[in-house]
Amino acid sequence: MRIALFFLTSALSLAAVETFDSVQAFLGTHCAKCHQDKGGAGGFKLSRVTSLESLKTDGEKWKSLALRVKNGEMPPKGAPAPPLDDRVAFTQWVDHELRNQACSSGIVAGPSPIRRLNRDEYSATLRDLLDMHLNIGSALPADGAGGEGFDNAAETLFLSPIHAEKYMDAAKFAMDFAAKEFKSHNMIFVATPKPNVTPAQAADKVLRRFLTRAFRRPVTDTDVAPYLALFQNAQKQGDAFEPSALFALRAALVSPMFLFRYEPPNPTPNPRPLDNFSLASRISYFLWGSMPDEFLTDIAAAGKLQDEEVLKQIIPRMVKNDRALGFSQRFMDQWLRTRELTTDKIPDDKLFPGYAGSEDLRSDIRLQPALFFRELLVRNLSVLNLIDSTHTIGTGLLEKHLDLKLPLNAGAKSQPQWVELPKGSNRGGLLGMPAVLIVSSYPYRTSPVLRGAWILDSMLGTPPPPPPPNVPPLGEEKAGAPAASVRERLTRHRADPNCAGCHSRIDPMGFALENYDAVGKWRDQDGGKPVDNTGELLDGTKFQGPEELRKILLDRKDLFLRNLTNKMLGFALGRGLTLKDSCTVDSIVAQVKEKDYKAQALVEAIVLSVPFRNQAGMVVSKEQVKK
Amino acid sequence: MNRLSRRTLLKGAGVALGLPWLESIAATTAGAANPKRFAAFYMPNGVNVPMWTCEGTGRDFKFSPTLSPLADLKDQITVFSNLYNLNSKGGDGHYVKEAAILTCQTIKKTQGADLANGVSLDQVIAQKVARETPLPSLELGVTPVAIGVDAVVGYTRVYGSHIAWANANTPLAREINPRSVYERLFRAANAGKGSGSKQEALLLDRVLSDAKRLRAQVSASDKIRVDEYLSVVRSLEERVTRASSGTQQPWKPKMALDLKAAPTDQPTGHAEHVRLMMDMIAVGFQSDTTRVATFMFGNAVSNVSFRFLEGVSAGHHDVSHHQKEEDKLRQYQLINKWHIEQYAYLIRKLKAMPEGESNVLDNSMLLFTSALSDGNSHNWHKLPIVLAGRAGGRIDSGQHIVSPDDTPLSNLYLGMLEAYGASQERFADSTGILPGLLKG
Repeated sequence: MRIALFFLTSALSLAAVETFDSVQAFLGTHCAKCHQDKGGAGGFKLSRVTSLESLKTDGEKWKSLALRVKNGEMPPKGAPAPPLDDRVAFTQWVDHELRNQACSSGIVAGPSPIRRLNRDEYSATLRDLLDMHLNIGSALPADGAGGEGFDNAAETLFLSPIHAEKYMDAAKFAMDFAAKEFKSHNMIFVATPKPNVTPAQAADKVLRRFLTRAFRRPVTDTDVAPYLALFQNAQKQGDAFEPSALFALRAALVSPMFLFRYEPPNPTPNPRPLDNFSLASRISYFLWGSMPDEFLTDIAAAGKLQDEEVLKQIIPRMVKNDRALGFSQRFMDQWLRTRELTTDKIPDDKLFPGYAGSEDLRSDIRLQPALFFRELLVRNLSVLNLIDSTHTIGTGLLEKHLDLKLPLNAGAKSQPQWVELPKGSNRGGLLGMPAVLIVSSYPYRTSPVLRGAWILDSMLGTPPPPPPPNVPPLGEEKAGAPAASVRERLTRHRADPNCAGCHSRIDPMGFALENYDAVGKWRDQDGGKPVDNTGELLDGTKFQGPEELRKILLDRKDLFLRNLTNKMLGFALGRGLTLKDSCTVDSIVAQVKEKDYKAQALVEAIVLSVPFRNQAGMVVSKEQVKK
Repeated sequence: MNRLSRRTLLKGAGVALGLPWLESIAATTAGAANPKRFAAFYMPNGVNVPMWTCEGTGRDFKFSPTLSPLADLKDQITVFSNLYNLNSKGGDGHYVKEAAILTCQTIKKTQGADLANGVSLDQVIAQKVARETPLPSLELGVTPVAIGVDAVVGYTRVYGSHIAWANANTPLAREINPRSVYERLFRAANAGKGSGSKQEALLLDRVLSDAKRLRAQVSASDKIRVDEYLSVVRSLEERVTRASSGTQQPWKPKMALDLKAAPTDQPTGHAEHVRLMMDMIAVGFQSDTTRVATFMFGNAVSNVSFRFLEGVSAGHHDVSHHQKEEDKLRQYQLINKWHIEQYAYLIRKLKAMPEGESNVLDNSMLLFTSALSDGNSHNWHKLPIVLAGRAGGRIDSGQHIVSPDDTPLSNLYLGMLEAYGASQERFADSTGILPGLLKG
C-alpha cells in the first residue's frame, strides 16, 4: 500500500494547512491545462476528482494522482512544477482524506484471494504432515514477492510448469521416505488390513485421516472416493496394501487442495465470519508458516475458534512455540530486506575479510534481527525496542564483531542469547545491528543515501520518491575512498535544487549512522579523518550520531508502529493492503498503543481484526446476474 | 476422463493453449529433419555504447571492441543497430525495460495485485512447438528471483526477475541450479519409460479433477490461479501420456543423457555458474529435449560483483551509472565483453555439434539483448542486439543491419517468428518484418 504520509518532515502536520477548496485550486493551477474534460491527457479527466464524494467513489484515482504528484511525475517535465512544500501538503491532505473516507463505511473484510503455499510453507507443511525433517521444497524455485513485500502474497504466487514437475518429484520422494521411516509410516498407517478388516476398509481409514490433515479440513465421502479408486487401481496392478495406499497419497500431495490455501468461498453478497478450519489455517500459516496442529484443529472442530477469548489464549501459546521462530525469520528478513545478505548484498571480501571469512559470523549477523524480534514476542516486550533497546541478541562472534563486552553465558557462546547491552554501546535496536547496516551499504563503502532511504522506507513506511530521470545518482567512490569526500559530494548534490528537495530529507539520517562501517563495525575515524556523524532535519533540528537519531525516530514512534502494522497485516493476510484496510490498520495501531506497544498485542490485534477473521461477500458480476 | 472436455474448459477460461494433438503430430513429422532452436540471453544494466557500436554497415562491418569475441564467427552473426522498444519507455529505469525485452509490452505498475505484461517471444515459439519435444521451454538464470517490492518506484521485483511470460499474468519461474536442469532434462527425455508412467498419468488425472471441482467454486479472480494449475498439470499429464503410449512416440533424443554427466549443484562462482548454465542449454538443444530457452545473466538492477575480472572493482549496476567517468566506463565495457564471451562460448559449442548437413548453431537463433543501451541514462533507444545462427538458412547473417533510428525491436521479433516457421501478422507494436533480416 502506497498511501502514506509523504516522507518524514519534522514535527509539524501539514495536513491541516489544506482544505478541499485549496486542493481543488492546486489541481486547477497545475493540472487543468491538460486534464480538463476535453483534453483528458493520459485518460485522466479532472472532473473525476472535483467532488467531495469522489474521494469515496474514486479513491484509487485520488491515490494514484497523489502518488504521481508526490513522485514529481506530474506535472510533467517542461510544465511549471509546484514547489515541493505544496506537493507535500497536497499529498498529505489526500492521504489523510482517503483514510477518513475508507473508515467512513466502517471496517471491512477485504479480499481473500486463493493462494498456493509458498516454498517455505510447502516444506514446513510436508514436514509436519509426515514428521519428515527435510527441506524438501528447496528444489522449488524461490518465490517472488508482492503486496507489502512478502513472498506469501497471493498475487505473486504464480505457477510454472517447473512447479508441477517438482511437486510430482517431491510427492514421490516423500512417500518413498514415509514407507521406510518409522515415525512417518505410523502417522500414515492408522489402519491395516486384518482378518476382519478388508484392504479397502483399512485404506478408507488411512486415506480419510491423511486427506483431512493434508487438505486441512474435514473431507467428505465424495472427496475420499476418487483417492480410494486410485488405491484400488494400484491393487489391481498387483501392488501390496501399503504401496497402493502410498500411491493414492502421492496424488493428495499434488492436489490443489493441498498445494493451495483453499477457503470455501462466501456465496452471499454480505461479509461473514470465516469457517473455523479456514481460520485455523490462517492463524497457523501466519504464525507458524505451516498447517494447524492437532490442538488447533480440535478447537476448530469444536467450533470455538471464532471465540475471542479462546483466540486470546491461543495466541501467546502459538507465539512461544518453536515453530514461530520461522515467522520471525521470514517476516523480519523480508521486511528489513536482510534476506539480500545471501544474494545481492555481499560486502567486498578484500575490504572485509573478517566478514567474508566466517560463515558462522555471517549467520549470526543475519539471524540477529529475527531472534531479537522473537524475544520481543516471547517476552511480550514493546515493539519500540526495534528503535532502541537496552538488550540485544549476542553470540561470541557478534561480541567480537561489535567490539563489546556482553554478559554472555560463557559455556554457550556460540548460541544466540538475549543479553543486556553495556551503557553507551550504541547497539540498541535495529540500527545497531550489522545486518541492517550492511544491507543499506554498498559492498565497498557506506552510503548515507542508502541508509537514509532505508530508514524512510523500511522503518517509517515513507519511501522517498524515485530519483527523477536524467539526474544520475551520486557517483561512486573507488574502493576504500574516504567517506569525507562522500559528504562533500552529497553536499554538492544537495546544492542542486533538483536534488535538494529529497536529499535534504534522506541524507541527514544516513549521516548519523556513519560511525558504522559497511559491515556494521564501529569506527571513529574513516580514511584517516574523524567520522562526521552530524545531520540536520528540515525544521532545523540538529542531531549527531546514532543515539540522537534513535531519539528522533522515537519521536515518530507512531509512524513506525503504523508501518510495522501495515507490514505485519499484509504478511498475515498474504496480500497487499488496499485503501479500505487503512481503517483496520488505524484500529490495530490504537489497540497496540493502548497496550504499551506490546509485541503480542500487535499479533493479537491482527488475528482479531475484521479482515483476518472474516470473508468479504462474493462480488456478483453483471453477467452472473443476467444468468 | 475426456480430453476434449478438459480442453473446452481451459479454452473457456481463456488460457493460451498450443496446437491440438493431431496437428502437432503432423508438424513434428514435417519438421523432424531439421529442428529449429531459439534462445534469448538477457544481460542487465545496458552497455558502454561507444565500445559496443560496430563500424560499417551491411556485410562490410567491423566488430566493435565489446563484440570482438564474435569476430571469427562472422558468417553466423547478425548485429542490429537503432532498434528501440517503445513500450518500455517511462515507468522506471529498469523493471519496465527488462520485463518488456521479449514482450514489447508496457507492464502494469503494481506491487503485485494486478501483474500484467504480454506473452514473450520465446513463449510464442514454445507454444507453437510445445508438443514436439519433451519440454516446451527452459527458463534459466543464476540468481534467484529478486526479493520484495521496490516501494520507491512502485513495482514488485517479480518484474525485474522474469523475461519469459507464458501469458499476460504469468511469468515463468527460472531454474538456477545447473544440476537440477540436467536432471530435469534427463527425466523429461526419459519420461514414459518404465511401468510407473501409466500410474503417473492416472495420478495427474486424479488431481486435475480436484482442480476442476475447485475451479467451479472459486471467484473469477481466483480462477486465474486455478487455471495456471490446470494448465501446468495438464501439460505434464500430456507429456507423460504421450511418452508412454506405445503407438505415438514421434520424439527420440538426438543424444542420450546420462545422469552421471550431471554437473555440480554448487558452482564455485558466478563465472562457473554461467558456464554450466550455457552447457545445459547446449545439452537441451543437442539432445532435442527442448528447442526454446531463455537465460538471464542477472536480474534487472543486478549488482553482482565482477571482481573476478582483472581490472574490475565495482558491482555491475554501480558501474553502469558511470557518469562518463573514464574508469567506470572501462570497467563497464569489461563486464559487457565478458557477457559476450559467454555467449560466444555457447555459439561455438553449438557450432561444433553436427546435425544433418550442417550443425545445431546453423539451425538456431540465439538472441543476445540488454533492455537498455546506455545504462547511465536508462536509455531504451538504440538497444544492443545481436543474433547468432541462421534458423536453418532463413536468416541473412554475416551483416550489421543499421535500421532507421527508432525502428521497433518487435519488427526483428516478427521476422524471427517468420524464420522459425511461427509467423504471425503482428508482434506487439511491430509494423512489419525488419528489412534485410531474412534471406530472399
